[in-house]
Amino acid sequence: MMAVDVQGISFTYDDGTEALAGIDFRVEEGEFVAVLGSNGSGKTTLIQLLVGLLKAKSGRIAIGGREIGSLSAEELYQRVGLVFQNPNDQLFAATVEEDCSFGPRNLNLPETEVQRRVTEALASVMALPLRGRAIHHLSFGEQKRVSLAGVLAMQPEVLILDEPTAGLDPAGEAQMMQLLKNLNREEGMTVVLATHSVDMLPLFANRIYVLDHGRVLQQGPAEEIFCHQEMIVRAKLRLPYVSRLMYEMKRHDGVPINGLPLTIGEARAQLLELIPKDMILPGIEEIRP
Amino acid sequence: MMFDLFSDIFTYRDNALTRIDPRVKLLVAVAALVAVVTSSRPVLPLAVFVFCLGTVAALRIPAKLVALRLAAPLSTVAVLVVIQTFVTGTTPLFALTLGGWTLTAKAEGFRQGLLLGARVLSALSIVLLLGIATPAHRIFQALRGFRISKDWVEIAILMYRYIFVLMDRVADLAAAQRLRLGYTVRGRAFASFTALAGATIIHSFEQAQRTHDAMRLRGYRGTMPFGPLPALGRRDRGILLVCLTGIAAAYGFFEWGIKG
Repeated sequence: MMAVDVQGISFTYDDGTEALAGIDFRVEEGEFVAVLGSNGSGKTTLIQLLVGLLKAKSGRIAIGGREIGSLSAEELYQRVGLVFQNPNDQLFAATVEEDCSFGPRNLNLPETEVQRRVTEALASVMALPLRGRAIHHLSFGEQKRVSLAGVLAMQPEVLILDEPTAGLDPAGEAQMMQLLKNLNREEGMTVVLATHSVDMLPLFANRIYVLDHGRVLQQGPAEEIFCHQEMIVRAKLRLPYVSRLMYEMKRHDGVPINGLPLTIGEARAQLLELIPKDMILPGIEEIRP
Repeated sequence: MMFDLFSDIFTYRDNALTRIDPRVKLLVAVAALVAVVTSSRPVLPLAVFVFCLGTVAALRIPAKLVALRLAAPLSTVAVLVVIQTFVTGTTPLFALTLGGWTLTAKAEGFRQGLLLGARVLSALSIVLLLGIATPAHRIFQALRGFRISKDWVEIAILMYRYIFVLMDRVADLAAAQRLRLGYTVRGRAFASFTALAGATIIHSFEQAQRTHDAMRLRGYRGTMPFGPLPALGRRDRGILLVCLTGIAAAYGFFEWGIKG
């Protein structure tokens, strides 16, 4: 069954800005799908439509096989959860525990179940030690993880995230993406994330949708998407840095590279194939200038 | 300075006061407030003021922070005493001549001002101590326990949470204005300040909209759900009894026990 099935939706804001123009968007159960696009491409509008914050002018949106218009708020938000870009928009309670228990309590669950869900959600984002802390005492990275836990405590079937790595340092970015990968691969959660950060996507996303001016330019696995250089430029995006390096080496220096490596691992494997074995020295611990 | 004014880091320390159930602290604070506000002499309010400040000092709260939090009420008290002294009463104490005007201080007014000032100072020191010994969210929990209107508690929770968010934003905006010389000349400073105030209002509306969206997505239907509160323990009940008895005894002693 399709976790998310969007057919021909359009949306125009009151000021006349056409944000989405008849797009189709499908996500299968257990998939990790990225919506890639520059600022103003329609990513945020799309995810706001998916969770019912905006109403489409035309088209159909179904979550878990049912149209969102036919679902009550209670049903809808147990099927789909949204993690906002800015955790301050989402974390409104005074403490981590109170914030995480907000959703389960709204579902009128017994207190033991509320506490179980809070513990489970905080553990899954490695934030259990933060349980009793005040929200305004948390670092930005901690706030991001706690806002994710607050949504996980609703146990949605589809998790949607708006720019989940925005504002995080490299370590925080890697940690957040690893958390999402674990939720997807180990717990089977369907993940949809909107981003314009391309470097980590090939490692995590099963499929990528590229949006530009409210239209889907291309969709498919990362290796397919990043082969279309013109489309990438048109969408005001770029290749992952490692791919760009390999592409330039192939194009300008004639280095015989097959295809386009998208990750450091792939690039390393390709380079090792090209370097004669006797030139490879034993491993070094650190790089000196 | 604003951050110091609202900082709650001391409430997370582990000490004898922070370990007491917030409902007990709230009840004791309310009882003390009633006692000082209804006292007919300044002795009880002043004694409570000294006790509260002494406790704050014993908790090793920086004097600068205490002074900062009491600065505004102290100035109110000063104005109150001066106005009462010169406006109320009949028995002259002394006279001042200012620009051709003769102002006569009166004994009754001075006494009344002193009483009102002592009440204000005392009440504020009680609130100060409560705020230093109890995190805000635990006070909200206690209010919920006393069946205070959920709407009021909900608004208080959101206000408390977003004070810090908006303060961060205001600090950033003000710094951005200052770096572009927004506060160098009086007229420009006024314009910058009004722009800052306007931007803060707009930010708070936008923040409210986004927060409401986020709450709706987690099942909010107009009322925040509150978790259950545990029953008061024997130790807390004992503390409550001792404190209430102490306040009643002090009230009786200072109001009726000594003649002034």
